[in-house]
Amino acid sequence: MLSIKNLQVSVEEKPILKGLNLEVKPGEIHAIMGPNGSGKSTLAHVLSGREGYSVDAGSAHYKGLNLLEMAPEIRAREGMFLAFQYPIEIPGVNNTSFLKKALNEIRKHRGEEELDAIDFLGLIKKQMKLVEMKEELLKRPVNQGFSGGEKKRNEILQMAVLNPMLAILDETDSGLDIDALRIVAGGVNKLRSAENAFVVITHYQRLLDYIVPDFVHVLSDGQIIKSGTKELALELEERGYDWLIEEAESKA
Amino acid sequence: MAHLSNNFSEWVNLQIDNESSFAFSEAVRSPSLSKLAGGVFPTRKDEEWKYTPLGDLLDSSPGRDTAVVFDHEYIESLKQAMPLAHTIVFLNGEYSEEYSDSPTALEDSGLSISPLSQLEGSALKLAEDTILNSTLTDDNIFQHIALGLSQNGLFIEVNKNIECQTPIHVIYISTAHGVTAFTSPVNVIRVSSNSHLKVVEQYASLGEAAVITVPASYIQLDDGAGLNYYKIGVENASTNHICNTSVRVAGSGRFESHQYLLGSNLTRSNLEVSFTGPGAEAILRGVYLGDENQHLDVRTYLDHAYPHCSSDQHFRGILNGHSRGVFNGLVLVREHAQKTDAQQSNKNLLLSRDARVDTKPQLEIFADDVKCAHGATVGELDSDALFYLQSRGIDKKDATLMLTRAFAAEVTQEIDIDSLQTYVQDKVSASLDEIVIPSD
Ligand SMILES: Nc1ncnc2c1ncn2[C@@H]1O[C@H](COP(=O)(O)OP(=O)(O)OP(=O)(O)O)[C@@H](O)[C@H]1O
Ligand SMILES: [Mg+2]
Repeated sequence: MLSIKNLQVSVEEKPILKGLNLEVKPGEIHAIMGPNGSGKSTLAHVLSGREGYSVDAGSAHYKGLNLLEMAPEIRAREGMFLAFQYPIEIPGVNNTSFLKKALNEIRKHRGEEELDAIDFLGLIKKQMKLVEMKEELLKRPVNQGFSGGEKKRNEILQMAVLNPMLAILDETDSGLDIDALRIVAGGVNKLRSAENAFVVITHYQRLLDYIVPDFVHVLSDGQIIKSGTKELALELEERGYDWLIEEAESKA
Repeated sequence: MAHLSNNFSEWVNLQIDNESSFAFSEAVRSPSLSKLAGGVFPTRKDEEWKYTPLGDLLDSSPGRDTAVVFDHEYIESLKQAMPLAHTIVFLNGEYSEEYSDSPTALEDSGLSISPLSQLEGSALKLAEDTILNSTLTDDNIFQHIALGLSQNGLFIEVNKNIECQTPIHVIYISTAHGVTAFTSPVNVIRVSSNSHLKVVEQYASLGEAAVITVPASYIQLDDGAGLNYYKIGVENASTNHICNTSVRVAGSGRFESHQYLLGSNLTRSNLEVSFTGPGAEAILRGVYLGDENQHLDVRTYLDHAYPHCSSDQHFRGILNGHSRGVFNGLVLVREHAQKTDAQQSNKNLLLSRDARVDTKPQLEIFADDVKCAHGATVGELDSDALFYLQSRGIDKKDATLMLTRAFAAEVTQEIDIDSLQTYVQDKVSASLDEIVIPSD
């Protein structure tokens, strides 16, 4: 589903991703961990088409499509979704109408009929229950004045409504209390199927108790230096990253 | 100011000696006529006019087209902004009985309205006194054109202690074919103590020939009176519109102004508000939206001469193509105006590289116990917000539209007449639909 080969990306001449490889197949959940500044969000942004990054080498294909040549909205319509580490506040744009517009753009792209206001409301009410979000937040401008946790839940609500094939969650667990963490994880688990896949970026092993990954990768200085199963996350929790980084350096 | 002879000033001078029936008596007209006789028009060398391109206007020589036909459907469509209002329509400056609601509908309501041309006796005197009491610091020639040459306009008077339920909607439509159409309507609004009223002034134009609109409005609110005053400009691209509005608000009065300048080749709006007693309040809102070579120029002047008054201004500009916006707002807080609260904000969104805006919010404070703040921004759309919308499947054009509409909506949502809010927001959306093409 997602195939990244030797991806090298720089920002303002500064190399950030330095030859990254990753294969994600339908039905899989991949966790990406790694120290601050190692390039996790950069990877998420490049995959979803944010401007300002220069791809110096390598490739990224999604469902066989050359991802790096597609406009961000086309990636979204093809079923990709990024839950932002820092969701953006958009004053003056109503949360509900924004989400309805987004869903209908995706449905149009798939050749499906657009949902009218009533059907959409039915859908969104159902998904709000899933993430236990207050209805009042639907009437507000997108993320404006939302608490940190409310913003993260809003990301998961959007994911639930848009029902992506490949979702990248960038530190969705950061800033969530234990209950919220369980709710967000519950949301992911309900959406999980044999057809779709998740890439979960996190600093905390705790999340992986709720969202059990098939693979855990460690990203350090722009490269994946180790991949393993969920046991790797436990080991990282105990030992930190230094031993891994040293191990990688001695190999190089 | 410099002496410059031009087609327009020559035409103005010819009008002075015309046989036409003017709206006002000599008391109001003569000071203005002597200014006009001087033929003094501002040039780009005048500091206050350095941005305003008057060339097209000064080159033109208006005429009178007696065969002009007005577009019935268009007039009806303008009325839709305010279906529940009492509507008054002027066609090329003349009062239209056909399209206006009958004044008898307002009988015994404590509210009286009349075209200036039908005004006489004490009512005419009251209208003229209101004008003579007013002071415009920007003593520009266009207000003298309005006062000296005006043949018509609207007088609105509300008695004491009246809550006017029905808003007034006055529509000025110019239609020009072959020859330049000129109008200079004058509006006079008097709201007596503790009464409240809403008035919408709408300006529209049609036709391939040039239109010149030079309105002047004089507003006086007595103690505790309130007026919500909306100005909607939707004239076409061959129109030059220069207006002056003078407002006096007595103690505990409340003046609220909403200006939506969405048309015209050139718009210059000068709005001056003076408090004439303590505890008064002024809320000024506005959006100016320009494309191609449009020029939109908004000026405000707020005179805080009494203590415990508050003013709050919020203007937003959206500029595309080669259009140019100007915001020039001066707040004067005089020595005795303690406990003044004056806020002023101007935000501008540039949608193209060639659009530009000159913003100059100014505060002059001579009192020491005041709360004043002002700020101005000029920027592009937030690229993070654009990306966020795109990452959800919304294409760049639609995302740009959504964000631009939202930018305007933060002001337009304050219009407290539902039909008018919808009308203005639809107009903004329609204009944006036409002009927003993403750069890549
Ligand atoms: N626009 C930018 N300009 C300059 N440097 C940038 C820019 N964006 C990212 N970087 C740098 O790239 C590096 C990787 O950043 P990134 O946000 O991908 O890290 P991360 O792994 O997500 O970190 P964290 O765990 O703190 O979220 C950092 O050193 C960051 O400062
Ligand atoms: Mg990050």
